Amino acid sequence: MRWWCSAQAGAWDWTWQAYPGVWLFVGLMAGGYVWLGRSPVGRGSRRHTASFLSGLALLWVALDWPVGALGAGYLASVHMLQYLLIALLAPALLLLGVPAAAYARLDGSPVARPLRLVTHPLVALAMFSFVLYYTHIPGVVDEWMASQVGSFGIDMLWLVAGLVFWWPVVVPVPERPRFPPGLKMGYLFLATVLNTIPYAFLTFGELPFYGIYELAPPVSGISTRQDQQIAGLLMKMGGGVILWTAITILFFRWFQREEVA
Amino acid sequence: MRLTQLTSLIAALLVAVGCRMEAPERADAAAREANTGLRGMVLSEAPPRPDFVLTDARGDEFDFRAETDGYLTLLFFGYTYCPDVCPIHMSSIAEVKRDLGAKFARRVRVVFVTVDPARDTPERLRDWLGAFDPEFVGLFGPTDAVDAIQLGLGLPPAVVPDTAAADYMVGHGSPVIAFSADDRLVVRYPFGTRQEDWLHDLPILAGE
Repeated sequence: MRWWCSAQAGAWDWTWQAYPGVWLFVGLMAGGYVWLGRSPVGRGSRRHTASFLSGLALLWVALDWPVGALGAGYLASVHMLQYLLIALLAPALLLLGVPAAAYARLDGSPVARPLRLVTHPLVALAMFSFVLYYTHIPGVVDEWMASQVGSFGIDMLWLVAGLVFWWPVVVPVPERPRFPPGLKMGYLFLATVLNTIPYAFLTFGELPFYGIYELAPPVSGISTRQDQQIAGLLMKMGGGVILWTAITILFFRWFQREEVA
Repeated sequence: MRLTQLTSLIAALLVAVGCRMEAPERADAAAREANTGLRGMVLSEAPPRPDFVLTDARGDEFDFRAETDGYLTLLFFGYTYCPDVCPIHMSSIAEVKRDLGAKFARRVRVVFVTVDPARDTPERLRDWLGAFDPEFVGLFGPTDAVDAIQLGLGLPPAVVPDTAAADYMVGHGSPVIAFSADDRLVVRYPFGTRQEDWLHDLPILAGE
């Protein structure tokens, strides 16, 4: 039995497979949230809980069979869908699922200083971009996705980078008064621009970049090149939809606050 | 160690490892290219272009040596129910053939000999190959004859399991054998050959 999804030599079939490592990971996150909720500070509203559980569910879908297995070794387009879920969508929902009081409590803790540094918008954006580019280098994908540890490493890099990226935008602690909604929107807009380079390579590249997907047993009727183009378009359009939705929400909230003021 | 230093160290390590990372078969292909100018394995004792006659998917006789003489010829032994090696090779070659254009296409023959004639009916073979490229030639023949051709090329004969099940797998050699248009080079392309390798080698073998 395999504990985490990674590339496999065999042909794809739709027989369900268990990945206990994924269940353990999701279970630990859920357990952590329950533990947090036992203290009055960490207890959130139903909205918080719904948000966290939505993020966790997306994470589970992205990591477990069949999406996790298809993305790990068969289709670049599904690998990209995983990226969108793990690095962009799930982290925002997970962070929104934690009540403000719990974040505020971090202030006095030993992690406060390094956390403030890592989640500084410039550092966060640089880190997120680095992970985006690094985890899409063909040599890295081909090497890392071939093993369960490597595949786990990429998934965790995405998740951590996503949490760091969304932190300055989502975390409701007024610790950065110099990061008002206008700058947050600019920050998110920059992120939409940054994925243009890998998108362009994937969508307009003449040859397949990733050996792991090029030499994978075919799953559907689409060719390796079409699969790669879909991956590129997903990165740009799927990422764009997520980020522009966030920008729109920020804008209207900002607008409403200005109206009230 | 401070966090910033640690972060820098991790980033530097990741960059270094990422830049160095290369699958082993890529390194092999690069080494071969440095030695011979080709990414496939050039056979030092090249067997001659084989001389055999089999039946094509339309039911006509196909004299391999006569039909492919003067063409860059890619010869492969596989079966249409193959889940991985066969469709990947055929797909890669078809894609690259399209990339190289009509002039190149006129100088190349791709011949697929089935090792599973019990299931690969002429219609199935024609349709399956046609989905990659209608110009690919599919051939049938008696198992003994096909085995002898493979042995002559240094390939192991296919192993078809003795089973009543319909979804059996056939063990067969995975390389594509390329005969250059001028017959001076015979090159083996193992499974793992990437489209970029085909794109590099095929024009050379075609004499372009």
